[in-house]
Amino acid sequence: MSKPVSSQKEQQGAYPSRISRRRLLSSVSALGGLLVTGGCSDAFMPPTLRGGLIGVADVLTMSTNRWLLADQPLAREYQPSDITIDFPQWHGPPRSEEYQQLVSGQFSDWRLGVTGLVKQPLSLSLQDLKRLPARTQITSHVCEQGWSAIGQWTGTPLLRVIEAAGGVTSSARYVVIDTFDGWYEGYDMFEVVHPQTILAYGLNGEDLPIGNGAPVRLRVERQCGYKSLKWLKSIQVVDSMVGFGKGTGGINSDWGFHWYGGV
Amino acid sequence: MDSQVDTDRDAVVTSERLRAGAREWLARHSYSVRICHWINVIAGGYLVVSGIHIFLDFPELYWGHTGYQGYPALFKLSDWGISWDEAGAMGNRMWGRNYHFTFAWVLLINGLVYVVWNIKTGHFRDRMLPRRDELTPTHLGADLRNQLRWFSPTRVSATNYGTLQKVSYLLLIFFFMPLMLLTGLAQSPGFTAAWPWLLDLFGGRQSARTLHSIGTVVFVLFVLVHVLEVLRAGALNRVRAMITGRFQLPREET
Repeated sequence: MSKPVSSQKEQQGAYPSRISRRRLLSSVSALGGLLVTGGCSDAFMPPTLRGGLIGVADVLTMSTNRWLLADQPLAREYQPSDITIDFPQWHGPPRSEEYQQLVSGQFSDWRLGVTGLVKQPLSLSLQDLKRLPARTQITSHVCEQGWSAIGQWTGTPLLRVIEAAGGVTSSARYVVIDTFDGWYEGYDMFEVVHPQTILAYGLNGEDLPIGNGAPVRLRVERQCGYKSLKWLKSIQVVDSMVGFGKGTGGINSDWGFHWYGGV
Repeated sequence: MDSQVDTDRDAVVTSERLRAGAREWLARHSYSVRICHWINVIAGGYLVVSGIHIFLDFPELYWGHTGYQGYPALFKLSDWGISWDEAGAMGNRMWGRNYHFTFAWVLLINGLVYVVWNIKTGHFRDRMLPRRDELTPTHLGADLRNQLRWFSPTRVSATNYGTLQKVSYLLLIFFFMPLMLLTGLAQSPGFTAAWPWLLDLFGGRQSARTLHSIGTVVFVLFVLVHVLEVLRAGALNRVRAMITGRFQLPREET
C-alpha cells in the first residue's frame, strides 16, 4: 500500500515550492563536495558531446535550460481535478523471468540496490523505500512523441535515497538507473537533487500499476518521459558513463536521441 | 486613377526594355538581408521537414493540458485515410527531433542577427515600415488588386517592397516567428518548468502543439505565396538579386 502525502503539506515542510539556492548548496554539499568536483560544468553538458551542429545545439539547449532552472524551481503541479483517469501505459511490462517472478511474489522479493560511489551501499525493499520521507506531486508526463497526461505520483525523492546510503563520495558525477526491461539512463547531480525527482511507488493514490512501472518508477519532471524510467532494478553512483552501453549516458542517447531530455 | 495608369505603363515599358536587353543595375539587397535570407531558407526547410517527421509519430492534435491516443482529439490523421502505423512508418522522430532543435537554434540566432543588423542599418525604418500614405484603404485595395492579377503584373517595383509585402514580412518576423518559438517552448518540459506562464499563455501543452502545427501550415502557405510572387515578378532577376544583391533595372524612360 502506498501512503499518499499531500503535496501541500510537503511544500510547507521539507520541500518548499521553490528551493532556495542555499538549500540547494547544502543539499549538494551533503553529497560530498560535488561543486568542487566539476558538478557545475556537468550541469551544462551531456556526458559525451555529439559532433557537428547537432552537438552545438545540444549544449545550447541544455545550458540554456540549466541556466534558467538554476534556482531549481518545481515543474508545474496540477490540481486533483486535472488528473488523467486512465494514465497511458504505452509499452507492455518487462517479459523477463526475473520480473515475472517478482510480480507473482507481489514484489516482496524486490530489492533496490544502491551501490557505487556511495558511502554505505544499500539494498532497499519496497517497505524500506516507503519508510523514507515521501513526496506526492500532480504533474504532467511529457512524452517526446507528443502526448501528455497528468498523474499524481507518490514516492521517495532520489536525493533521500542517496542520503540514506550515506551520501556520495567526491568523485561521483552521475546516478545510473537500470530497469527490468533492459533500459538504463544516467542522471547528473543537478537532476538528482531536485525535489520532484522521485522514485514513485504510487499513482493516483494506489499502488503503481505494472503497466506504469511497478513496483517503482522514476519521475524526472523537467525532462521528457523517456527519462522517467519504469520498472526500476538498481541504482549506481558513478564518476563516468563510460562502460554503460555505448557510453553516451543512457540507452536513448545510445540510440541517437538527446541525452538531455528537457525539450 | 493616375497611379494605376502609371503602373500599367511601367509594366509594359519594363517588359519592353528587358526584351531589348537593357542593362542597368541597382543595389537591391544588402549583405545582411541576403545572408540571413538563405540561412532562413535552409533552416526553415529543415524545420518544416523535421517537424512533419515529429508529427507523424503522433499524428493527432488535442486542446488543453492533456492529450494521448484515445483521448478526444481535435484532429486525427487517421480520419484522413492515413493510419497511425502508416504515419509512423513515414516519420522518423529521432531524426526529426535532432534536426528540429538544431535548426530552431540556427533560425533563432539568424533571426536575432537579422533584426539587430537591420535595425542598425535602418533597413526596417527606411524600407520595411509602411509609410502612412501606404496604409490608406485606397492604396491597400490597389495593392491587393495588383497582387491578384497574375497575368498582368503591374508595379513590380525595383527598389521598394509593396505595402502588403511589407506588412506580411513584418508580421512574419515580429509576430509569427515569436509565436512559433513560444508554442515550441511551451511543449518542452524543461522550458515550462522555468517559465510556467508559457502553459497558461496557450492554455496547455497540447494547445501549444496544435497551434504550432497550424503555424507550420501557415508558414508553408507563406512560402508558397512568396515563391509564386518571385516567379511572377521574374524569377531569374529576383533570385539573382537575392544572391548577388544586384537587380537588373530597365533603362530610364526618355
